[in-house]
Amino acid sequence: MDHLTALENKSIFIIREAYYRFRNIAMLWSVGKDSTTLLWLVRKAFFGEVPFPVIHIDTTYKFPEMYRFRDEYAKKWGLNLIVGRNEGQVEAGMGPGKGTKLDCCNELKTNALKQIIEKNGFKALLLGIRRDEHGIRAKERVFSPRDENFKWDYEDQPAELWDQYKSTAAEDNHFRVHPILHMTELDIWKYIRRENIPLTELYLSKNGKRYRSIGCAPCCSPIDSNASNVDEIIAELESSHTSERAGRAQDKEDAYTMQKLRSLGYM
Amino acid sequence: MDSSKKVFVLGIDGAPQTLLSEYAAEGIMPNLKKILSGGYSLHQMDASIPDVSSTSWTSFMTGVNPGEHGIYGFMELLPNTYRMAFPNYASIKAPALWDIIGGTSGAKSSTLADGFKGRVPNSLRSIVINMPETFPAPALNGVLTAGFVCPDLKKGTYPDSAYQYLRSINYIMDIEASNASDKPDAFFDEALLALNKRAEAFTHFMDKERWDLFIGVVTETDRLHHFFFDAAREKTHKYHERFVFFYSKMDDMIGRFFERFMDATGGRGLFMTMSDHGFAPIRKEVYLNRLFVEKGLLTLDAAREYFEQIGQGSKAFVMDPGRIYINLEGRYPGGAVAASEKNAVVNEIISLLLDLKDSEGRAVIKRVFEAAELYSGTESGRSPDLVAIGNDGFDIKGNIKKPEVFGTSHFRGMHTRHDAHCVLPSGVALPERLHIENLAGIILERFI
Repeated sequence: MDHLTALENKSIFIIREAYYRFRNIAMLWSVGKDSTTLLWLVRKAFFGEVPFPVIHIDTTYKFPEMYRFRDEYAKKWGLNLIVGRNEGQVEAGMGPGKGTKLDCCNELKTNALKQIIEKNGFKALLLGIRRDEHGIRAKERVFSPRDENFKWDYEDQPAELWDQYKSTAAEDNHFRVHPILHMTELDIWKYIRRENIPLTELYLSKNGKRYRSIGCAPCCSPIDSNASNVDEIIAELESSHTSERAGRAQDKEDAYTMQKLRSLGYM
Repeated sequence: MDSSKKVFVLGIDGAPQTLLSEYAAEGIMPNLKKILSGGYSLHQMDASIPDVSSTSWTSFMTGVNPGEHGIYGFMELLPNTYRMAFPNYASIKAPALWDIIGGTSGAKSSTLADGFKGRVPNSLRSIVINMPETFPAPALNGVLTAGFVCPDLKKGTYPDSAYQYLRSINYIMDIEASNASDKPDAFFDEALLALNKRAEAFTHFMDKERWDLFIGVVTETDRLHHFFFDAAREKTHKYHERFVFFYSKMDDMIGRFFERFMDATGGRGLFMTMSDHGFAPIRKEVYLNRLFVEKGLLTLDAAREYFEQIGQGSKAFVMDPGRIYINLEGRYPGGAVAASEKNAVVNEIISLLLDLKDSEGRAVIKRVFEAAELYSGTESGRSPDLVAIGNDGFDIKGNIKKPEVFGTSHFRGMHTRHDAHCVLPSGVALPERLHIENLAGIILERFI
């Protein structure tokens, strides 16, 4: 079996396992390349159907291309799409210009998702995160328990040796399930090429720039790149050493600095 | 190697001269007392203005005023905006001590560096541990691990082997200050643990590296003072004993490193302890932005955050700790004060502040400095227009959201400008009143 097929088999196993165990589940679809790949795998796992809701957390700050893509494929693939918005905060004007970026993400993403989980009582959520994205994600599990406050206690989680997954939890918990945790950024692109998975054009170079990672428009910056198709992106990644989220590092340092200064009474 | 040309600096963040002197006399700090009776003197020293760690430590490491080094606080506004930014080591315009003696000044220059050009070697090695405002770590001739604020130990440490070592001992970059109010015991425990880690790291680098200048800084004192300075002298305070115990451990550390350094240099090296500012108990916090709002000098747009709230027609605003900026046309997007009106606004603010009294009629502001009195150099164009210094007990704050001019919080200590300390051999020639900017020159003299 070739590498991509092995990865695919593993992902499909996890997706089916999660659905079998929990039934009342949903998946998060940011419309980025990873969660779109996950959505593709879900469709394969259930022979073209998606037997559970697909949640898009709408901060209202996404790129217009992303909204277009979401609506087009939600229709084409017959998705039960739930658009989640923290309406109270959106109306109150929360945005990247107000508060810290941490506040903005917290209100418009985390709390929007909390509201949806509370409303629908989902027992598990499928997410398209990957282990190589960020240091902290290396500690993630495929079946990752969260408490009622969304807290992830990374020092207390099942070991998952030999692909034995633990999928029962205390009453208040829900699970995050990560079917593509084992894939790298390069694996994703190679799989996208093999399967011809549709993606928004934001990933392709325009005027010497393209997005390597997409989210809310005000907080994403494009990288210098001439890669205008998937083959060229793969070639670029194979020769690149900078991290996928390099553009987001400054924000993190600033958020840490602010929290520290605040704790000593500055600001 | 001439061992008299070695310098060891123990930085004790926020340790006031008055408190050290009392603790030495009371027997809480016997090692310090012994050092002081053996040919060393404890001097009271002025910190930089504003007396905040980022500015004051930068003044120490560069030996020049903020008008040259360019650091006026932990926060700045980005040019021509009200957006906040956090200056760090990369923002410092003057060469640090380790650059001057290590040949790594690059394109940076300063009046201090020019004065010592050709007089000190440029191949000396420095070890710098936990000095605030040194993140991200520069590639110096030696070893550096950054102090507050250091968001990333790896990026804050040079070279990588030092990072690997620090990781291996579970080094603590900074303790969790937010524990101070709800988990005070955990807070004190972590402060002691961090002190031990600093001592462990100092010892390691002292022994394993070749060095000429060693600067090791303890920042836990500052944290303790922020939350528990009222416990320093009140013997009935619930945390007095824990506070004093921490100082006795600090004293152990002073004694230990003094002896170690004296043994290594046959008693001929230059040993110094110093702090970047002093501390005093807080009576009230004073929110000058609120005062400005009440006096019609500042309007706020509540739909926005931090300094982006500054609204139309605002004449001035305040950033921590007492930095006052005139909202000048051309300098800020909503600038509402023409250059020709600036003096009138400045005078209005000075008299407003000097008249400010609390509810018991006590004067709040000790002095208001104008920029030209404090700053000179290429970075002085970015300075605050005025800096207000509070009388001891009145902590001047730049918080923009407070509903009243005066308030109290869980903070119990405030920085003071006049009560920093420095312990030096009694023979060292000093100006009449020691200032933190003088220390770099005293250190460099040793290397001539």
